[in-house]
Amino acid sequence: MENFLVKNLMVPISEYATVKVGTRLIDAVRALEKAQEAYTTSKYQHRAILVLDDNDNVVGKVGQLRALKAIDRQFDCNEEIEEVRKFQFSDTYVAELREHYRSRGEVMTVQTLRQAANQKVEEFMQQPTPGEFVAEESGLDTAIHKLVAGTHLSLLVTRDSKIVGILRIADVFAAVFNEMASIES
Amino acid sequence: MKELDKIFARIVQRVNINLREIDFDVNPFAVELIPPDQMSKFYAFYGITPDHPLDLHFQHSALAGSYFLGKCQVRNSLLYKSDIRGDELKRKGDTVTFKRFSITLTNDEMIDIRNSALVKTLVHNYSHDPETPEVFFITDTLAMDYANIHGSPTDGSFLGPFATVDLTTVRDSVIGAYSYIQAGEISHLHIEPGTIWVNSPGNFNFYYRHPPEQLEHYISLSPDKVPWGLLIDFIEERKVEFQRVFDVVNLKEIGSVPESAKVDRYAVVLPNIKIGENVLVSQRAYLKNSSLGRGANAQENCFIINSTLEGFNVTAHGAKIIEARLGRKVFVGFNSFLNGNTEQMLTIGEGCVIMPHTIIDIKKPLEIPADHLVWGLIRNEADLALNSLPKTTLSAVDSSLTQGRMHFEGKGGLFVKALSDRIDHILEVNGAFFANGENDGHAQRNQKLSLNTIQPFQFGPMQGMYPTITIRP
Repeated sequence: MENFLVKNLMVPISEYATVKVGTRLIDAVRALEKAQEAYTTSKYQHRAILVLDDNDNVVGKVGQLRALKAIDRQFDCNEEIEEVRKFQFSDTYVAELREHYRSRGEVMTVQTLRQAANQKVEEFMQQPTPGEFVAEESGLDTAIHKLVAGTHLSLLVTRDSKIVGILRIADVFAAVFNEMASIES
Repeated sequence: MKELDKIFARIVQRVNINLREIDFDVNPFAVELIPPDQMSKFYAFYGITPDHPLDLHFQHSALAGSYFLGKCQVRNSLLYKSDIRGDELKRKGDTVTFKRFSITLTNDEMIDIRNSALVKTLVHNYSHDPETPEVFFITDTLAMDYANIHGSPTDGSFLGPFATVDLTTVRDSVIGAYSYIQAGEISHLHIEPGTIWVNSPGNFNFYYRHPPEQLEHYISLSPDKVPWGLLIDFIEERKVEFQRVFDVVNLKEIGSVPESAKVDRYAVVLPNIKIGENVLVSQRAYLKNSSLGRGANAQENCFIINSTLEGFNVTAHGAKIIEARLGRKVFVGFNSFLNGNTEQMLTIGEGCVIMPHTIIDIKKPLEIPADHLVWGLIRNEADLALNSLPKTTLSAVDSSLTQGRMHFEGKGGLFVKALSDRIDHILEVNGAFFANGENDGHAQRNQKLSLNTIQPFQFGPMQGMYPTITIRP
């Protein structure tokens, strides 16, 4: 059985879609499209954009869900909903409240799309959490555990303290099930 | 370092230790809170009455300008112009019911204030905590200007200016400025400013939060500054009239007060006041050019200016009514600010309930129809439509209702009934229904109240502190 290391499966950061803090959502999505066109190593396309600060440190990630949240107006009400939750309202009431806010306005309008397109990535990016990093010399066991335990779609791969790549769940999935299939046959 | 400073530093530390888990530091808010030079300037005073047990004990504390009634002990604490009203404490032999428990008191209840600093704070009612029915405790707590601790044993907590805790046991919590909490029991909560929360688990849950940017105009608080805003300015502008009633020993009797009514000698009463039968005007209330009809009351720190109250009106602690006409049985909750003006009168119909900490501040005349529940911030007709409901509409709510920034879940009928029962109870204990020598309450019983004063050390390291004093019959 092949002993994969994280570095064997990761996508180097140079091949990934990256943008700087301050980039508009629409420009970040264009950067993603460009990176997808250039990437031919795997049949699985990139689905996220990394956000870098002025020193090229990764400070956040914008996945498809985050990008949609930027467009969905109810995202703005999350803070209020969380506040209400604190005051012992039931889960049923909170769910109704979300629906109530959602129904207040259409998502797909020229105005909301234009507004969302101009939002800066740092306003809705996801900041990396401690369990989201994996060293490039780590084995696949470690990576699988981190992906499953943290329900992450990708991990940030480190060499010393620098981020050098992305380990995507699709590539780990493919490696694991190729191995499984070879055992079966 | 003077004893006053030492004790204050110790209180601040104790509050911070209690609030460490919610990472709240009271230090910045405490800096200007107690002016040391003021602490030796004002005498403290206490009431003597045949209707309430007299048992006061003060130890290692400063009590400047504060008032005490009933059974109360104060230890290692600083009180500044606070009212500690023990006239509704439970008595030995009383039985209280809490869920399936029937609890009989083996002693008279006592207010027990320890390691706390209370500034212009009202303490009233009785402990609603079934675990401590005989002790209404306030420990390791810091309460800022015009806070109300009403029937709410409080431990390890911070109350911002104009914050109210009502019928709630409060532990290790921060109650933001102008927030009102009535929730039975809370622990380790950080309540943001302007939150109104009335929760009876299993029955109803009401929540509203004032828009923060707009609330700032009325009350603001930030580290290293004394509170500011329209509410503070409003009180400061009338401060001088209070100084007169506290400086003068024998004030001239206010004429034309019916025998069944009581106007406290520490209330400010300016010309053109009409007082009806069974009216109660508490100390530190401020009345000017107004009429209070039969059974109306004006509780501590209330302001009623150029207004008419038809009768059986409750003006709860700290409420302010300016240029308004209130129909019969209108309830105005704690710290509400109803601000009409000469040209733009505010009219509130019979039976309305103005929720605690409501702000009505109008530039055009506004009329609130009878029997409405009103809450939040209202500056015009549109705000009123969003922040009010007929009581009958709310009574019909069976599961939930969202209206503007207000959230309600539970049985509307139970909520309306609880409010109505409470208003009747308040009128009853204040003596509004007194007739033919029966149903007497505070308005009648307080007729037999006399006052004594006590003084602090004026010089030396104990300046501002009070000697240990025990006062018993």
